[in-house]
This record gives sequence, structure tokens and C-alpha cells, in this order.
Amino acid sequence: MLDWFKRRFTQESSYETNEEWIKALSQPVDERAIELLRSKLIQGLKPALHKYVDRELDQFVEDVAQDALLKILDNIDSFRGESKLLTWAMKIAVREGLTELRLKRYDDSSLEDFKHPGEGGREELTSLTFASDLTDPEQATHEQLALQKVLKIMNEELTAKQKQAMKALMIEGLSITVVAKQMDTNRNALYKLVHDARLKIKNRLEVEGIDPDDLLKRM
Amino acid sequence: MELTKKILKKLVQAVSKSHHDEIGCDDCFDQLDTFAQMKLEGKTPEEAMPLVEDHLKRCQDCREEYEALLEAMKNVA
Repeated sequence: MLDWFKRRFTQESSYETNEEWIKALSQPVDERAIELLRSKLIQGLKPALHKYVDRELDQFVEDVAQDALLKILDNIDSFRGESKLLTWAMKIAVREGLTELRLKRYDDSSLEDFKHPGEGGREELTSLTFASDLTDPEQATHEQLALQKVLKIMNEELTAKQKQAMKALMIEGLSITVVAKQMDTNRNALYKLVHDARLKIKNRLEVEGIDPDDLLKRM
Repeated sequence: MELTKKILKKLVQAVSKSHHDEIGCDDCFDQLDTFAQMKLEGKTPEEAMPLVEDHLKRCQDCREEYEALLEAMKNVA
């Protein structure tokens, strides 16, 4: 019995270093290492995700850990060893869980406008009279003109896709994971699309002689 | 779509802080475990990895994943 405990202790503690983990998780895979990693993922995911899951947390976390394990094993060769292996593995598991939750939340929601793009001229940024909180009428007029200018620049410079993405992300505050899925793209490409849009606006403001920081001070 | 002054201000703020060196979600994810590891060890990844820090400030989903990762790791340590 004592030998069994000693062996078990030695086996589990032997996954302390990255090298040991990598060896155990590479082919031929050490099943004990997988079980240990699974239990650690579950142990970490529960407190990290509990606020996002309203029921059946245990089952959800176990499913996420299982899906994450497959990705971890598939990608073990890409681990560069710049963190502890468990941190790297947990990163994959956390993204797996949160992505599923975001998409589930979106499926359950009633964001019909976003689900059916093109209805109601939704991509157009419309002009409107901004209610100013400035007491000086001259300042308020300046502010109105500046804001209308920004609006005009956005309408002239941005593509329909950029407007759609900026609206969803920056105005409606939707998850980039969800918006990427709806726009048939991925997070990275969508971020780049919006990044390019921001730079276009910034560049045009500079050409027009408008300093965005000055503009903000006047708003 | 209609823009309120508040929303437009938010947009101008985002435009104002935009720069060519920004990293995307993929690069952020690649480095997130290193960033989190440093934070967990009491170091200052914000200074060592400013582009990751910058992205985390801009991207709600990446920020959420970073915070969840820290929370998870604090519970397995």
C-alpha cells in the first residue's frame, strides 16, 4: 500500500516541469497526465466561468475541459514554453468555454436586426441634432459642427462592412466573437477591419486639420 | 443607424488612441499565457508587453478571457 502511494505521488509530482508535461502529453500519451490535466482544468474553469453559467455548471465545465483537452493535445507542439504549461492549457480551455457561452448567449438573444443585416438601412450613419450640454451658444455651435464633420467623415470613408462592424462592436457593445461569426469572418480579421476603419478616420481628421484630442476637449 | 453624442465621443476616443502598431486578437492570444504568467508571479507584464496590454484595453472579449484565465489559475495554484 505504501509503495502504491509512493508511486502515485512520484508519478503526479513528475509533471511539475514543462518538459515533463510535454513528454507526457506527446505521443505516446500518458493517460495519467491527461487525467491530471483534465482535473486541473475543471478546478480552474469552475470559479472562472461560474458567473457566466446559470445552470449545470459542472456538466458544462466538464464538456469544455474535454473539448479543450483535444485542442491541447493537437497543439502541444506549438507550446513555446514561455509560461507554465498549465497556464497555456488553461488559456485554451478558457477561450473554449467563453466562446461557447458567447455564441450560446447570442443564439438565445433577440438581436434580430443583426441576424438579418440589410434591413432598415442599418449600415448608414444618420445625421441628427446632438443635444449639447454646453451653456455657451458659440461653443455649442462649434461642437455641433465638429460632430457633424466626424459623422460626414465616417460616412464617406468607411465601407458598409466597417460601419456594420463598428456599430455592432463599439455602439451596441456586442462580443467580437459573435460579430465575427455573423459576418462570416474571424476575430482577428474583424479586429483588423475595425482597426483600419479607426485609422482611416484618424487620417482623414488630420487631413481636415482636426485634432481628435482637441475635438474631445470640446465635447 | 443614429449616433448620439455619447457614442460619437466614444468613437472619437477610440480613433484618437488608434495607432499602426496595434496587435490583433490572434497575436494577443499567442502571448496571453506569458502575460498572465508574469502577472501571477507578481511581475509587470503591462510594462514588458505593452502591445498586449494595449489590445486588452481595446478588446472586450480578449480582456474577458485574460481575467477568466487569471481567476482560473489562482484556483489551481
